[in-house]
Parts: sequence; structure tokens; C-alpha cells
Amino acid sequence: MVPPDLRIRDLIERAIVAHRGLADLGEEIDDEWSYVNDLHEAWSTRLGELAGQRGDDPLESATWIALDEAIAEIGAITDPHRAIDWLSTFPQVVLVALAEPA
Amino acid sequence: MRFQDAAKDGRAVVYATIQADPLVARAATLLADADRPDRVLGRAVMNGERTDPAAWRRMFPTLFGSGVDPASRDRSEAMLAVALEVADRGEQVRSQIRGAIVEAVTALLLGRRGPALGPLVRRERRVLFDGVPAEIHPYDVTVELDGRAEAWDCKWGARGIGADVLHQLDDARVHAADEDESLVVGLVVFDAETSCRVRLDRQTAPSAETHLVTLETLGELAAPRPTNSPR
Repeated sequence: MVPPDLRIRDLIERAIVAHRGLADLGEEIDDEWSYVNDLHEAWSTRLGELAGQRGDDPLESATWIALDEAIAEIGAITDPHRAIDWLSTFPQVVLVALAEPA
Repeated sequence: MRFQDAAKDGRAVVYATIQADPLVARAATLLADADRPDRVLGRAVMNGERTDPAAWRRMFPTLFGSGVDPASRDRSEAMLAVALEVADRGEQVRSQIRGAIVEAVTALLLGRRGPALGPLVRRERRVLFDGVPAEIHPYDVTVELDGRAEAWDCKWGARGIGADVLHQLDDARVHAADEDESLVVGLVVFDAETSCRVRLDRQTAPSAETHLVTLETLGELAAPRPTNSPR
């Protein structure tokens, strides 16, 4: 069920929260703690910039569903190494769903 | 400076089998001709947990939605199918296959610079310098062109960028210069440039003269010479 009157900002806020969850799992690899958090910061900044540019634009239901699927995908991850892979992949999927460049 | 085949040890023999898997060549060909969204699709699926194609189609509405032109959609379907085949191989094997795919697409694109260059694009080669002990690890892809040789290391993800590979690449460049030879060195990383920059910024190993080709810029490998500046 897609909530009504969604804006792109709603999707991005949800994506950043999900990305933080991935980072929390990736942090279990002690040697990569800083990298994990730097990655989270870099991609949150990129997505935040996009919210500043297009945040008030209406959101198509297909894009919200795309995020549902992406969150379901990362929700299936239990391996912190895989979580680190997806810290990079997940925001790229979000940007493609929004037809945005990297 | 001279090039030499890597030693045929056990690892090399096993890995050669992976490299020769037809799935690697099919995926590399699709990725070489893909645009960025299709490459992101390929990366996500090959990294993914789930193998239900319908879920992936819903995750990429700009590739599979009703408004997408049929030719583009067919390309995305082909990418999805080959990526699912990779994902289906199990974690250890698919990790090796993913690495082999990045090497294969690198060699394929380098070979597109021109028919004369094709035979000069080689895989798994060592670069030898007078008076310098040979590196243990071969370079993934080399372009053995007189006066303008290149050595590329290939990584599936930004996390593969580390001090060892950066030192190896830069050492080779410096040793070549010591012999008055030109050796372009670089990393091909099948990941977003943003993530690669984050990884590189954490490294103290030399990388200022190392070219970086990322998921967004793979096509530059087919240009007559690397068009991106070293970082």
C-alpha cells in the first residue's frame, strides 16, 4: 500500500534511515568502522542534496514500491561484509529509481 | 621493462577455469555495452540475496516500467537474466565470477580501441624491471604497447582498494620511469565513484598518478588513451 501525497523527500528520508541500518551492521567489522561511517556520510550527503533539489516533487507509486523492494533486499542481509557492499549499492539503486545521476 | 605470464600455480589454474566460464564472457559483453542504470542493476543483482526476477523489476521501475521503450527493456532483461545466473552460483563461486567479470569487461573495452591493439591486451601478466624483485601478484589486465604500456588492476567493489594494490601499481609506474619507459597504471572498480573516492581518501599509499575507472566511466577504457586524469 502506497501512502497518498508522498514527496521525494519522504522517500529519501526513508532511504537514509535504511542506509544507517546497513551501516550499523557493517560496523561489526571493526577494521572498517571508519570506512563504513564515511560511506554513510558521503551517500547521505548526496541523497540530502537531492532532497534539497527535488524534495517537494510528487513521488510516483512505482518509485516508492522500488524503495520497498530495495529495503526488503537489504533487510535480508545478515553478513556485515555484505552490508558494506550494499552501503555503496543501495544508494545507487535509489538514485536510479529516481532517474538521477550518481 | 618487460612482461611475462604469471606462474601457473594452483590458484592460477583454478581461476583460469572461472575466467573461461562462458557466463563471464556473456556478462562482460552486456556490461561493456550497458549504460549506468543497467550496470547498477547488474551490480545489485550479482550482489543480491534474492533471486526473484519480479522483485528486481519492481526495484528498477526506470528500467522495467510500462513507459520504457521495448529495446531498452530488452537490454535490461538480458542484464537481469545474466546477473541472476551469477547470483545463483553460491557465495564463494559468484565472488570469483564477479571478479573475473570485471577483468573481462576491462580487457574487452581496452581491445575496442582498435584492431591492432587487441593482441596487445593481455591477462594475468607480471611486469619485470631490471634489478627489481618481481611482484608476486600479476596485473589483471595489461596493454603491452611499446612506448605506452598500461597495467590495470580490477576490483568488484570500492572496498577492494587497499594499500597493497596502490603500492604495487605506483611502484610499477616509478620503476618504468626509472627505465625511461611509460607505464600508465590504474584501477578499474565496478562501483560508484563516490564510494571509490571515500575509500581512496582513507589511504596513505600513493595514488596521485593512478587512474581510476568506475562503474560510471567504464566506457572510457575504450577511448584511445585514459581520458580521466589520475586522481
